[in-house]
Amino acid sequence: MAYVATRGGEKAIEQAERLFRQDLGTIDAARVETIRATMPYLIDRVMGEASLYDEELAALALAQTGGELSEAVLVLRAWRTTQPRLAIARPVQQHELLTQRRISAAFKDIPGGQILGPTLDYSHRVLATDVLLGKPFAPPSVNKAASPAPARQPSLADWQRQQGLVAPAKASAVSPEDIPDLTREPLLFPASRAHRLQSLARAETGGVLALGYAAMRGYGNAHPTVNELRIGEAEVVVRHPRGTEFSAGRVRVSQAEVTSKEKGGYLELGFAATFGWNEVKVIAAATLDLNSDEAPVGSAVHEEFYLYHTESVEASGFCIHFKLPHYVTFQSILDAMRDAKAKKAAAEAAGETYVAEPEEEPVL
Amino acid sequence: MSLATLTKDWAATSYGFLDASAKRELRRKMLKAIAVPGCQMPYASREVPMARGWGTGGLQATLTLVNPNSVIKVIDQGADDGVNAASIRRFISRVSGASETWDTLSATIVQSRHRVPEEIMREDQVLVLQVPNPEPLRGVEPNISIARQMHADADYGKLWLTLYEQIVRKGRIMQGASYPSMVNGRHVMTPSPIPRWDVPKLNMARHLTILSAGREKRLYAVPPYTRVEPLVFSDRPYLVEDHADLTCRRSGVSGFFMNELPQDGGGSVFEVSDSNLGIKAIDTAQGTPSEIGETWYRNGEFSA
Repeated sequence: MAYVATRGGEKAIEQAERLFRQDLGTIDAARVETIRATMPYLIDRVMGEASLYDEELAALALAQTGGELSEAVLVLRAWRTTQPRLAIARPVQQHELLTQRRISAAFKDIPGGQILGPTLDYSHRVLATDVLLGKPFAPPSVNKAASPAPARQPSLADWQRQQGLVAPAKASAVSPEDIPDLTREPLLFPASRAHRLQSLARAETGGVLALGYAAMRGYGNAHPTVNELRIGEAEVVVRHPRGTEFSAGRVRVSQAEVTSKEKGGYLELGFAATFGWNEVKVIAAATLDLNSDEAPVGSAVHEEFYLYHTESVEASGFCIHFKLPHYVTFQSILDAMRDAKAKKAAAEAAGETYVAEPEEEPVL
Repeated sequence: MSLATLTKDWAATSYGFLDASAKRELRRKMLKAIAVPGCQMPYASREVPMARGWGTGGLQATLTLVNPNSVIKVIDQGADDGVNAASIRRFISRVSGASETWDTLSATIVQSRHRVPEEIMREDQVLVLQVPNPEPLRGVEPNISIARQMHADADYGKLWLTLYEQIVRKGRIMQGASYPSMVNGRHVMTPSPIPRWDVPKLNMARHLTILSAGREKRLYAVPPYTRVEPLVFSDRPYLVEDHADLTCRRSGVSGFFMNELPQDGGGSVFEVSDSNLGIKAIDTAQGTPSEIGETWYRNGEFSA
């Protein structure tokens, strides 16, 4: 008996879920807090892909899925979608970000300075095996600079605009309520830039990296120069019904601006931003954004291709759905195949020549 | 009078899980889809607590249609106790208070993956089909923007050509399930992957069919009494699966769509795919008469 038609099906699935949860053991607040406190970059990645900024919920999602990332993102998204949209925050400006790290590969030095901030970029990637031998790794303390870097930094693109290197920014005439919201509207093509950037912001990191890398390596037409990469914290400024603006808190954000070449007398800029600190994702995503306008339709760097295929919840869900029974559709294919074979055999038996064509799957 | 008496108690989620704005959007899109039969309507498609590709489109449609008086039947591959069907049915009833059934005759909403029940559905019933890929042109045009333009122009030449090439190469149309079908003489739809056996059931049907693809964010509809015509050439009749003469080894019914079960040592036996039809037949044979409604196929022939 196949698994779908057995009466024991419901019992079996319940036990299968129990088995998964039993392996993970009891989940308590302490476990959630440990995950939250020790895995900030993992939490950031999950919050970005879920488009839900809540470290505690992200840690809980990781705890209850045992770190199965696509499952963790799915439970967070499913929770998020039930929440009301209470307010629309004021747009975040680059020069208002509390900037922890900000670098440019375009110039040796930039107005405001290059701020390395926390990074593993120049570290030797050596496993600290001593830890396993009972010798805890205690990080050496940081020597403070003589003068602290300013908390806020000007935007490099603003300087480039003043120099006539980058096209003037178009004033946006969209009222906050009319900003497109991908979570409440379907993604249509050609996508609005807002939808494109929102979709990249919540895209799966690995997927964005794969397609962004393809664009960088030669399947796009841009070698990106990192104009400005930032990680920092943004104030979420909302308006009280009485009219007062106030900060509802801060969120960690990453953003990248990449450029490649001149177009119409100006440098083109590609941009991406996401919740959390996730540099590889924003650089890859900004490269895809930069490549988009000239990408051939149907290529891996065309927006319809990369936006659809980096959507974590859709991609993972569809992939695992192939585990569901498909025997009705399969039966239908078998029926056509057997009939075609019978027709061929009958024709050959009758002495008619049957022109054999190369075997091909029906394309529909 | 106080605020507490005027408002509802706090609840973690809205009635039927989806919030009011999501349901409003879905209702509007369903009405639009009914107004333009077979035409795909994009919708936001919220995440639901189930993986994409596991019936999230059908689920969103059902959660929008459901009310506490609804009677829900959910089937996967024809079976009510399929693992995913059971899970979806339990979820719908938990968040809506609707009652559950396995009986096509007593259901008000039938949500289904890959099958249309064998018993004829009525005007007061809605069939919600889960759709993995809503685009009949995907095979000939993977780009969705271009495919949309082709629908607008009723440009189905490439689809016809594919069917023609299959006849030339294999002697027959090889399309299995999801046979492309013209709705109301205007839009070609993919009737979700129901087998060819089930497509005639949608033609001039009494019930409303909503087809919803959650992952692809598209829904379309076949309103009651609307033409659904599989694309065929006038000299090549439409062929349903050759199941008319098969008999179910458990229930003894014959002339319905069957599941094939390969046997050790070669050969196959068959079981009726509409599992509750089989159960009713078994019950009746064992002396507990169970009403079997009129069926679309009689003696293996489509006759509705």
